[in-house]
Parts: sequence; structure tokens; C-alpha cells
Amino acid sequence: MAHFDTEYQRLEASYSDSPPGEENLLMHVPEGAKSQWHHIENLDLFFQRISFFKWFRKNGFTCMLLGEIFELVQLLFVVGFTVFLANCVDYDILFANKFVNHTDSSKVTLPDAFLPVDVCSARIRDNAFVIFVLIISGVFWLHRLVKFIYNVCCYWEIRSFYINALKMTMSELPYATWQEVQARIVEIQKEHQICIHKKELTELDIYHRILRFKNYMVAMVNKSLLPVRFRPPVLGECVFFTRGLKYNFELIFFWGPGSLFENEWSLKPEYKRGGNRLELADRLASRILWIGIANLLLCPVILVWQILYAFFSYTEVIKREPGSLGARCWSLYGRCYLRHFNELDHELMSRLSKGYKAASKYMNCFLSPLLTVVAKNVAFFAGSLLAVLIALTIYDEDVLAVEHVLSSITLLGVCITVCRSFIPDKNMVFCPEQLLRVILAHIHYMPDHWQGNAHRYETRDQFSQLFQYKAVFILEELISPVVTPIILIFSLRRKSLEIIDFFRNFTVEVVGVGDTCSFAQMDIRQHGHPAWMSEGKTEASIYQQAEDGKTELSLMHFAITNPQWQPPQETTHFIISLWSSPRSLIANILGPSTLTSVHFGRDSSLTNHAAAGINDGASALRSLSPVSSSLHLRGSLSAAHRAAGHTSAMSKGMAGSGTDARTVSSGSSAWEGQLTSLVLSEYASTEMSIHALYMHELHKQQSRGELSRHTWHRQDSDESSDSVPDEVRSEPNPHSRHFPRSHTFPTTVASPSEGASSQSSTQRRFSGSGTSGGKAVRSARVPMGGWAEDGQAAPRHHDPLPEESSEDEMPPHIHKVNAVRCVVGMAKLLCARVLKINLHFCPPILTLGYITKPAV
Amino acid sequence: MNCRSEVLEVTVEARQVEEAMLALLHTILLHRSTGKFHYKKEGTYSIGTVGTLDIDCDFIDFTFVRVSSEELDRVIRKAVSEFKDALSNSGSDGMGQISLEFYQKKKSRWPFSDECIPWEVWSIKVNVVNLANEQERQICREKVGEKLGEKVINVVEVINRHEYLPKMPTQSEVDNVFDTSLKDVQPYLYKITFQITDSLGTSVSTTMRRLIKDTLAL
Repeated sequence: MAHFDTEYQRLEASYSDSPPGEENLLMHVPEGAKSQWHHIENLDLFFQRISFFKWFRKNGFTCMLLGEIFELVQLLFVVGFTVFLANCVDYDILFANKFVNHTDSSKVTLPDAFLPVDVCSARIRDNAFVIFVLIISGVFWLHRLVKFIYNVCCYWEIRSFYINALKMTMSELPYATWQEVQARIVEIQKEHQICIHKKELTELDIYHRILRFKNYMVAMVNKSLLPVRFRPPVLGECVFFTRGLKYNFELIFFWGPGSLFENEWSLKPEYKRGGNRLELADRLASRILWIGIANLLLCPVILVWQILYAFFSYTEVIKREPGSLGARCWSLYGRCYLRHFNELDHELMSRLSKGYKAASKYMNCFLSPLLTVVAKNVAFFAGSLLAVLIALTIYDEDVLAVEHVLSSITLLGVCITVCRSFIPDKNMVFCPEQLLRVILAHIHYMPDHWQGNAHRYETRDQFSQLFQYKAVFILEELISPVVTPIILIFSLRRKSLEIIDFFRNFTVEVVGVGDTCSFAQMDIRQHGHPAWMSEGKTEASIYQQAEDGKTELSLMHFAITNPQWQPPQETTHFIISLWSSPRSLIANILGPSTLTSVHFGRDSSLTNHAAAGINDGASALRSLSPVSSSLHLRGSLSAAHRAAGHTSAMSKGMAGSGTDARTVSSGSSAWEGQLTSLVLSEYASTEMSIHALYMHELHKQQSRGELSRHTWHRQDSDESSDSVPDEVRSEPNPHSRHFPRSHTFPTTVASPSEGASSQSSTQRRFSGSGTSGGKAVRSARVPMGGWAEDGQAAPRHHDPLPEESSEDEMPPHIHKVNAVRCVVGMAKLLCARVLKINLHFCPPILTLGYITKPAV
Repeated sequence: MNCRSEVLEVTVEARQVEEAMLALLHTILLHRSTGKFHYKKEGTYSIGTVGTLDIDCDFIDFTFVRVSSEELDRVIRKAVSEFKDALSNSGSDGMGQISLEFYQKKKSRWPFSDECIPWEVWSIKVNVVNLANEQERQICREKVGEKLGEKVINVVEVINRHEYLPKMPTQSEVDNVFDTSLKDVQPYLYKITFQITDSLGTSVSTTMRRLIKDTLAL
């Protein structure tokens, strides 16, 4: 045999072929599900429940349980007692019109007045209406019971989520802010992956999920898409927006049968394409019609339900404090109009509640003098009668036994109470303009034309649409079942095409969140309004702009309430440019007066007058905040709070108060003791107030001289083109651009002649730095059926605005260099403004507000 | 919502529907199946082996790989043939959608039934075309083969991404994550549903559920 010499050889014992045995198999260790909180199915609902639990069940689980149980019992009692009173009492005996024959005594006892059981039940059985009411309230009660049981189960789960996953005990929950809870949720996402699309959640994601549909509603109200303003023949312009109507809107848009949304998180794909919008609009219109008809058919049932609901909810309140009907409350429309994008219920409610006092004071300024005179006299006569009756009663109580004396005493008392509400407080000063500013500091939004017109009745009437009488609110709720179908059928149906266009144009899909309203992204570039400080940053067409500076103010609000949030790049510039200005202002104004006056004394353009008045200004600002006493801390705190980011501007600005020994020592207890985040959030709301005032002021300066357009009188956009934003330019500008005048979107394209009419260039200017590039981007984004821009052909100029503050046009690095200058300028601006509100009688200072400009 | 969704679209002839669907569903399931788990006493486990099988299609120039489990194949075939029948009986324009949904169960307390929470949904949209002559059928045969090849690569790409998968369960929880009813293979819990043409609007049942939930909530 030939021996083949090859390189291939058998490997010796390089591995052993042991028989397959258990010990050699690859072993794995299961991770197991560490908690049940990974991968939650409906995150929207889950987050909603978390926030709800946080805010409404903060007194603990037992309290909630007991409260709900008592409510159920109360309901049962009210219905039962009402029926009993109506059917089982012999009132003749009670009123002593009939005599009972008693053998032992002549006294009438209560049981005498009760009818026997069989008579009573027969009476109930014969009365169809009572049966009907009983059935409805029975269904209502059962519904409440089931809801209660369901809620208890759900919240038990949420409670264990708080305890086990978020590691918060129930006792510390009331002291934690939402931001803390949120931070923990973000933290546990990394561990448990409750959302499977992303490794990390951001604050904005959570807000988007909780407020997905609410953001749509806010945007629709902002763009005046929903038919809530009406002009009935006698009443004049009024707003009708009730819970029933809102429920129907949500039913149609978000979750009803055949709604625009496929499920809670995504819009149906056919609504995202523009192809068959007309057909979709037709379909929507017919659906609205059907829902309207269903509402009409169910009207009697809903009406009885409403009445019962109102009776059960409000009788107790009215009995306890009868004045509450004359009190006011923020209307449902107001809550939609005033709400920021991405603002949770509790945030909205807390700032509206802070504005409540000022708002009711403002409304009370407007008492009709005629009514006052009448009321004074009526009160006088009623008062004298009452006095005599009471005096007689005191002298001899038999007077009470005379028929109707007790009732007339009661009636007179009520009469006097009513009259008194029409008599203004003697010590009140009529200064609506200042009050309106204080209100603005809390509510953050108001139409432009209110400023300077606060004393007018028109302004008051319009404000009362946001801030209505409680009684009116209840009345509206009661008539809502009748009016709602009419609105749906005749008003909303006509808007179906606009609604389809709105949802298509303003829906964006965010990874890990689903479809959200694009306004809620708070992107200045897409939805900014040039008249609201996003001049040069926005590329939005008029159709895309959010009105009333909603995008800008919402952005500020969100950035302030969520300091951990990392905004996108261009947004950061906007925020920094704002933060570096008025924040330091606060420090300056609220710091020791000596230091401030030194600051301003250096500046020649301010007179000594102004420096002397600064303290007044500071006090006005202090009044904004409920924690005014610790406002000194504000500047230094916020510096620590948000140290990252804008340090350079900050440190300069803070020099006034931050390093001042007195300030720090005054707040030292707070530093050492409970410097909880509650305090911080309180400061944040104050800061937001100041920002809101500042932005409104700047907006006013920017649009001065123009009859700026405002949303308040914006009418139903499909009616005619006279609801156009009338922007009349005060001074000729060679670079005037054409803007579409027509509101008749979506179908009509504004005719060139219409568009060519004189329009403001200052307010509606786009920053087309590169004309072609900018245009290309925008024309791609011009929504189909949106406000057609006839200005496509016209070149987009970027014309420098004379009164423009320099900061907006500077790149950020120059910004920082100029920070100090800006600070001084802004400080002047705000001070002048504050002075203006405070010192009405000081004309020379009053004019300061008009001459100062942000940049020195 | 809290789940990934992938959409595949194919245009096939009527007789190719069954094979095309089988090819795609089996491809996905191949990557979403493991061997049977054998738990050991100290809480560890070993994984059994999984065989694979090449399947040649009759009406398409295409070969795909599937898990060699007859049981699994039977289940899938049953679902697909139901889909095919429904599609041919519908008589409409021949649009349909079959979806393969992977979910995990979550145990709930007494008043509620166990929740099935999907974490990945594959929707395959099918468009059935009618061809006039044999030549076109030949072209279609090749073209569908190519398309399916692309889809398979697409599927593998998606599956290769590092994304959320349910954590490997302990012995007591294995039924919440894996379908343990089969003898030879253990896929993630899945559900196959189909739908002929886009029915307009949400179905009545979801609306009712939503109505009830809404009245109960908050």
C-alpha cells in the first residue's frame, strides 16, 4: 500500500465526543417577568389613570372608597325621599287644614301626616311620571354602582403600581408633584419597558398620550373650527358649549361608531390621504346627521337625566350657600380657549383658580349704576319691613304664629341678599385695566383688542363668555339636550369638509405615541405665529399658525413646568431667548430696591421717577403669586433649578439678587427645611405668569399701529370673506407681501385682487431667507384645502423691522454676548409696564412703556 | 397601540393565495419559535431542538423554510384555507388582510378575564388579480416568487432589530408567553385573524366595548 504523505492528519484528542448528556446542554436562566408592569396594553388609559389617581384620590384609597359609597347612599336617599314626600304625605294634616281625631291629646304628631303604606304604593303605581323618573334614576344609580366597582378595581391596580413600581407610598403621594411622578415613570421605563417602542420615554410622550384628544379639541377651538359661537336673534353673540355637546363632538371625532379614529391611538389611514376628501366629508356629514337624530330621539331621556343630575348635584350646594348661583365659574369654552397645548387638567385648574379672584373682581366692576340705585332702594324698603318684623318678633314671639309672617321674613331676607349683590363695594376702586392684567397673568390668553379696552362693556361681555355665572352654566347644561341635536345637524354638518381637512393636515405620527395633533408638538417652525416672537423662525402659513400665540405660550409653559424636558434644537433657541430675558428681570425687579435702582440708575434713559417707582412695580408683581413672601427666593432658586443651559445669561442677571446675602438669608429656612418641589412648581407658575405678561406686551408692541387681527371676532370661516383678518397697515411699506384675505377655505382660492389688498407686512412676514428654498419647503406643506396662499408667486422678503428687537435676529452666540444689554432692556420694558398698571395717575411714567424698546 | 405593527403587501393570483400566505406566515413563525423548554430544578432550563424543512411551492417559483412541525403546519394551513375560502366567496374585488398577532397573557384578578396584550402584529394585505392568459400567468409566477423573496428578507430584517420581546419566563409563567400546546416546537403565543376588504368604520362590538368602557371610566 502506498503511503500517502499528506498534510491532512487526524486531530488528536482536540475534543472529546462525549455522549449527549443533560449536563452538557446549554443551560439558560429565565429572567422571568420581574413585575407585572412591563408592556402595558393601553398606555393612554394607564397614564390617564395615573394622573387622575394622583390628583383626585390623593387623600388615600380609603377616603375615596368611603366618599363614593356615601355618594351612592345619598343618591338613593334623595330619590327615595323625594318620592316619599310627593306621594306619602298628607299635607292637609301637616298644614292643619284637616283635623285628626285623637283621644288622648290634641297634638298632631308627624306619623299622623303619613299616608298608610297601601295608599301610598297605590299612588305611586298610578303615577306614570313617577315610575318613569324612578326607572331612570334606578338606571342611573346602577350605572354609578357598576362604575364605582370598576373604578375601585382599576385604582387598586394603579395604587399598587405607585407602591411597587414607582416606590411611592400613599402617604407621600399628596406631597409629590406630578413632575416627580413623571420622572419616576420615565425612570422605570428603562427598567420595565412599559412602552415597547422606545427605550426611553420623554415627558412630552407622556403628555401626548394623556392629552391626545384634548389637544385636538384645544386646537380646534383655537382655529375656530368647532361651532360654538352663535348669533341668536335676540341674545346677541353667545357661546354655547356644554358637556353634552363636547361628549357628542368626541363621539363623532374620536371614538364613536365610524369615527375618524381607528382606535385610541391612530387615525384611520383613509383620512390621512387627501385623495377622496370630498367623499369622506360626505360620509362624515351623514354620520353627524345620524348622531344628531339619535340625540333628538333620546332627548327626553337625556333631559330627565340632566334634571336629576343637576338636582342631585346642585341642590345641596345651593342650600348650603345660596350665593353660589350668583358666583361665577370658568366656562367649558373658556377652559378650552385658555388651555395650553399639553396642559394637564390640574395644571389648568390651578392657574384658573388663581385667576378666579381677580376675574370675579373684574366682572363686579361692571355693575349698572341704574340697577344699583334701584337695588339700594329696594333693599332699603325690604330692610325696614324686615327690621320691624324682627323687632316685633323679639318683643313677642306670638307674632310668628300669625300666618305667613315667617315666610315673609324669609322672603325679605332673600330679597335683601339679592339686592346687595347689585350694590358695589364702597371701597372698591374701578381699575379694570389693571385687573385684566392680573387676570392675564394667570389665564395667559386673551384677544388683542381687550388690551386698552378693559373698561368697555364689550370686553366685559366677551370675558363673561369665558367666565360665566354658575347659574347660567347649570341652565345651559339643562337645555343642552335640546340644543345639541340642532347644533349637530345644522351647524357642525356644514363643517365636515373643514374637519376632514383639519385632521389630515394637523395629524402627525410620532413613534411610540401614535397619531397626535401636530400643534401639540409645539413646533415654532411649523405652527408659530410671526406676531408672537417667532418672527423669522416660523414657516407656517396662516392656516397653520396657531392663534393668539398658542404655540409659543404653550411651549414656554411646557418648558417651564417640565425643566427636564429636552426640546428640539430650534425650539431651544426660542426658549433660551425668552428665558434669558424676563427671568433675570424678575431677579432685578424683586431684588432689593437699592440694587435695582443702581442697575437702572446706570441707564440714562430711565428717569429717577421710574427708579423710585420700582418698588410699586415689584409689589404688583408680588401680588401675582400666592407665595409672595418667598418671592425673593425666586431668582436664586430658579437659577439652581435650571442651572444647565443658560448659565451665562443667568449669572449676570442673577447678580442682582442671587448673591445678595439678605435674600438668601431670608429664604434660608426654606433652603434648610422643606424645599419641596411643591414650592418649586409654585414658582414655576409665577414664572409662567411673568412670561405670559411679557409675551403679550411684546406682541402688543409688535403689532402696534396695526389693527391687529384677533380671533375673537373671527367668524365662522365658511360664511363669507368679511371675517378676514383685517390688517390695516399704519405706514406704507415697500416690501408688502400678499396674503390671502379669504377665509373661505378649503375650496375657494383667494382671488388675486382680493389678496392684493393692503395687508400687513410686519405681522405676516415670513423669514424666507432663501426665497426659493423656503418656498419649496412650504409649498410642500401647504395643506390641500387649507388657506391657499396666493402669494406663492410673490417673492418672500425678509425685511428688517424697525421696531424689532435685536435679539430675535441674532444668532445665539451673539445673544449670549448681548445678554446683559438685553437684560437691562427687558427689565426696563417690564418695569415700565408694571409701572403703567400700577400708577395710573402718573402720565410721564405711563408713557415710558411706549418709548422703551427691548434692545438698548 | 403598545405594539409594533408591520405591514406586508402582496399581489397574487387566486390560486397562489394559499401558498403565498403560507410562505409568509411560516417565515415569520420560523423566527418566532423556539425549541421546547425543559425546566430544571434550580430554575434554569434547556432548549430543545427545532428542525426546519424546505417547502417548494407549486404555483410560485419559490421555496421557503418552515419549522418542521406538522402540528403547527396544520394549524396554519387551516387558518389560511379559511381565509382563502372567505376571499373567494366574498365576490368583491378580492382584497383581504390576514394578520398574525403575537401576544402575551397577563393574569388579572377575579372580576376580569385574562388580558391578551399584543406586542407585535404582522398584517399581510392581499390583492387578488385575475389574469387573462397563460403567458401572463407565467410572468406572474416568477414575479410573485421574486416579491416573496423580498418580503422574506424584509421579515428577517425586522426580526433582527433589537426590539422588545417578552422576557424569558419562569416555569410557572411559560404559558403566558409561549404556546406550549405543540409537542415539538414552542412558538410565542400567536393569533391569526383575517378580514375581507376594509370594512368601514370600527365594528359594532368594539364600539359597544368602548361605550361601556367610557361610561365606566373615571
